[in-house]
Amino acid sequence: MKILKKFGLLVLLSTLMLSGCSSSNTTTDSNNDSSMPLKGTTLNLYTWDGMFPQEVLDGFTKETGITINYSNFDFDETMLAKLEETQGKDYDLVIADDYIIELAIEQGLVQKLDRTKISTIDNINPIYENEFYDPNNEYTLPYGAGIPLIVYNPDEIDFEINGYSDLWNPKLKDNLAIIGNYRVINGIALKSLGYLFNTNDLTEIKEAGDKLKELAPNIRIINDSNLQDFLITGEVSVAFMYTSQVNQALLTNPDFKVVYPEEGLGFGIMAAFIPSQAPNADAAYAFLDYINRPEVAAKGFEWLGYFVTNKAAEEYISEEMKPLIILPEDKYDLIEKGEIIQNVEDDALELHTQIFAEFQKETK
Amino acid sequence: MKKLSKKAILFLVVVTIINYLPIILTVVYSFNSSKISSVWGGTSIVWYKQLFNDNDLRRSLINSLIVALFSCSFAVIIGTSAALAMRKTKLFFDNMISYFSTLPIMIPEIILGMAFLAVFSFFKMPFGFITLIIAHTSFCIPYIFMLVRSRLIGMDPSYEEAAKDLGASSYETFRDIIVPYILPGILSGVLLSFAMSFDDVVISIFTTGPTVNTLAIKIYTKMKTGVTPEINALATVILLISVICIFLFEIINKKSTNKTQTRY
Amino acid sequence: MKNKKLGQWLLRLPVYLYTILFVIFPIVYMFILSFLTKAHTWGFTFNLTLDNYRKVFSSFYMGIFFDSLKLAFITTSLVLLIGYPFGYFMGRLNDTWKKRLLILIMIPFWTSGLIRLNGWVIIFRSNGVLDKILMFFNIIDKPLKLLYSYPAVVIGMIYFLLPFMILAVYSSVEKMDWSLVEAARDLGASKFEAFKSITLKQTMPGILSGIVLTFVPSMGLFYVAEILGGNKIVLISTVISEQLTKGRNTPFAAALSVILMLLTSLILSLYKKFSKTNELEGLF
Repeated sequence: MKILKKFGLLVLLSTLMLSGCSSSNTTTDSNNDSSMPLKGTTLNLYTWDGMFPQEVLDGFTKETGITINYSNFDFDETMLAKLEETQGKDYDLVIADDYIIELAIEQGLVQKLDRTKISTIDNINPIYENEFYDPNNEYTLPYGAGIPLIVYNPDEIDFEINGYSDLWNPKLKDNLAIIGNYRVINGIALKSLGYLFNTNDLTEIKEAGDKLKELAPNIRIINDSNLQDFLITGEVSVAFMYTSQVNQALLTNPDFKVVYPEEGLGFGIMAAFIPSQAPNADAAYAFLDYINRPEVAAKGFEWLGYFVTNKAAEEYISEEMKPLIILPEDKYDLIEKGEIIQNVEDDALELHTQIFAEFQKETK
Repeated sequence: MKKLSKKAILFLVVVTIINYLPIILTVVYSFNSSKISSVWGGTSIVWYKQLFNDNDLRRSLINSLIVALFSCSFAVIIGTSAALAMRKTKLFFDNMISYFSTLPIMIPEIILGMAFLAVFSFFKMPFGFITLIIAHTSFCIPYIFMLVRSRLIGMDPSYEEAAKDLGASSYETFRDIIVPYILPGILSGVLLSFAMSFDDVVISIFTTGPTVNTLAIKIYTKMKTGVTPEINALATVILLISVICIFLFEIINKKSTNKTQTRY
Repeated sequence: MKNKKLGQWLLRLPVYLYTILFVIFPIVYMFILSFLTKAHTWGFTFNLTLDNYRKVFSSFYMGIFFDSLKLAFITTSLVLLIGYPFGYFMGRLNDTWKKRLLILIMIPFWTSGLIRLNGWVIIFRSNGVLDKILMFFNIIDKPLKLLYSYPAVVIGMIYFLLPFMILAVYSSVEKMDWSLVEAARDLGASKFEAFKSITLKQTMPGILSGIVLTFVPSMGLFYVAEILGGNKIVLISTVISEQLTKGRNTPFAAALSVILMLLTSLILSLYKKFSKTNELEGLF
C-alpha cells in the first residue's frame, strides 16, 4: 500500500502543478458591480465543441462578469437524452440542430423566449426564422445554417459533376468521401430517385437503400469531421460535406469546384434555446444578447464557417469570407425550395437506420 | 536462469519500437505548423502556445486526474478486499458476485453508459463528479480484482503457514507475506485501470454533468469537429508528465526498497 | 471464530454492495428494457414486446454479429501470437530490464488512445510515412491506400489490445516455478516438451485472462473501426451505439447488447471447458 500512496501523491502533485499554472492567468476584474448585475454567476452552455472562438467567450465574461461553463455533446441525441434525464434543469443555454429542437419542444423541455430581454434580436435574418421546429418563433434563435454540398478537385476528375447522381459514376471508385449523417446520405439516394428527403413511404426508402448499396464501391471514407482534409491531401477527389468543411476546403484551395446538386438541397439550421428549468436563464439572455451584436456575431460566424444567420453582422464579415458564408439574397429561394431534414415517422426512421447500416456494411 | 537469446531480445525491441511509432509521430507532428494534422507543413510551436492558453482543456485534464485517482482508489479497496475474502472461504453468492463484478469490462462501454444514465436518474443523483467516479469505479474494479485474484491463486499456502508457524499474528502475516505478494497484482491493476479511466470517453459522456468535462471527452469532441494539432501538443505534454511521474516513482521506489532490504 | 466470520463478511461487503447497486441493477434494468417498446422521442414505453429480439435474429444483424466475432477472433489470435512471446521473454529478463520494459509498455497507455490512433492515420494515409518509406526502397510505386481498410482496423485493434495480453502473460510468467522446467529438462524432456507440459500449463491463467482482456473489448472498440476503417467496417458495437444515439432506439440497443453479453459468456465458458483449467474456476 505504501507504494500506492506515494504514487497517488505524485499524481496529486502533478495536478497541483498544473492548477498552479492555471491560477496564474485568472483575470482580476476591477469593474464595479452595479454595471454587472450577473457578475459572479455561471452560464452553463451546452453545445458542440468549438462553436465559439475563445475571444468571443472571453469578451462575454469580461463584460458581464459571468463565467461560462462550456460543456459539449457529440450528437444531438446525447443532448436530448441528457436534457430528458435532468428535466431541463442543468443547462442554461443549448445550441443544437433543428430537428432535435422540435423533439425537445415537443417534450416540454424548452422555455419560451422573452424576446424583449434580447436587445439585439432584430439583427437576426428573418429568412432563417419560423421554421418547422419553431413555426411561431417562440422558443429559438437561429445560430448558423448550412447545406451539404459536393466539392471536387477538377484536376483529378475528367467529367462534370452536376448532382448527386454523378456520385454513382464508376470512375469514382474508392475516391469519394461522405459525411456520416444517415438522414442526409439516405436523402441523396432518395433525391437522385426523385423522392423527398422527409418521405414516410417505406417502399421509397427501401428503394433508396438499394440504390445506396450501388454507391458503396465508390466510398473511400465515411466521416463527420474534417472531411475537407481528405480532399486537400488528395486522399479522395470528391467529397460530399457540410458547409463549414466546404468553406475550409475552398479557403485552402480556391480551385476546388463546388456543386449545388441539381436534384435539390438539404438545408439545416442550428438554433439556440433555453431549457425549461434553466437555473440561470438571465445569463442565457445576456449571452444571446451579446452574440447577436453585429461585430461579435461576425467574429463568431467567421470562426464557425456556417451561413450567417445574423443580417446586421454581414457587413462586418471579411471580404475573403463574405462569398463563402453569406448567402446572397438572390439565393434565398434555395432555402424556400430546399428541404430541411425533419423528423419522420417511427418506422420510417427505423428503416433509415437499417438501410444506412446495410450500406455501411457493403462499403468495406 | 538462462539468458535470453539474441532473437528474443530483437523481438522485444522490434515490438516495442512499433508500439512507439504512433506516439513518436504524434510528438513530431505536434511541432507541425500545418493545420491539417496528418500533413507536414514545417516546424512551429504555435500549438503549444495555443494549448497553454486553453483554460478549458487544462481544467478538463485536472478533472480527469481527479476522477481517475478516486475511481482507482475505490477500486483498489473494493477489488482487493473481495479477492482476499474469496480466496479461502466460499460463500453461496460469491461466484455470482464475482461474475457480475467483472461484467463491466465484458460488455460494450456504451451499454454501461446508458444503463448508468438510467440508474443515476432513477436514484435522482445529480450528474457530475460523483456519478463519473461511481461509473469509472465499476470498470476499474474488475482489473484489480482479477489481477489480485490471479496472483492469489498462484500463491503457495505454505508461505503463510510458515509465517504462522514462526509465530506471526494474522495481521503480521497479512502485512509481511500477503501484501508484498499481491502488490504487483494491485500495481498492474492500478496502472491498467488508471489508464482506462483516464481514457474513457463513452461511459463518461453519459455520466457527466454540465460542470465536469473530462479530458477524454474534450479530445473526442475536438476530434469530431477537427483534430487540431493542439491535441498532438497536448498528448506530448501528457506523455512528458507520465514519463516524469514514472521516473520519480521509480526513484522513490528504489529508495524504499533499499530501506526494506536493510531492515532485514 | 465468530470474529473471523464477521471479518469475512466485512471484507465482502464493499464488493457485494457495489456490484448489486451498480452492476446487477443496471443490467437487470437493461434486460427489462430489451422487452419494452421505443417511445417516439427518446426513451421507452411500458409495452411488452418480443419485436426487439425478432429483429436481432434477422439475417442482417446476425451477419454483423458474425463479422464482429470474426474480427475479434483474428485480433485475439494475433495479439496472442505477439503478446505471449513478448510477455514470456519479458518475464525472463533481469529485474532492471523487466521494470524498464513494463514502464515502456505502460507509458503509451497513458496518453489518449484516440490520439494514438491518429498516429496510425499519419502512418497509413496515402503518401504517408509508410508509403514514403516503401517507395524509398522501391518496394511499391504507388500509394498502398492502406488507411480505411480491413488490415488497418486489425492493426489498430492489435495495437490497442496488445498491452493487456502482455501484462497478463507477464504476471503469470512472473510467478512461474522455473525449477519444474529445469527438472523436466533434467529428466530428458526436449525444450519443446518442457515448454508444452510445464511452461504453457503454468502460464495458462495468464493466457486465459489475456484472451478475456482482448477478445471482449475487441468487439466493443467501435471507434477503432470508425477512425482507421473510415466508418466502413460495421461492428455490433457500432450498431448498438448508432441505435442508442442516432436511432434513438434504446430497447433495441438493449436487446442487441443482451445477446452480445450472452455470446461473450458462452464463448468464455466454452473456452474454459476446452482448456480444462479447473483451477481457474473462479475466473468468470
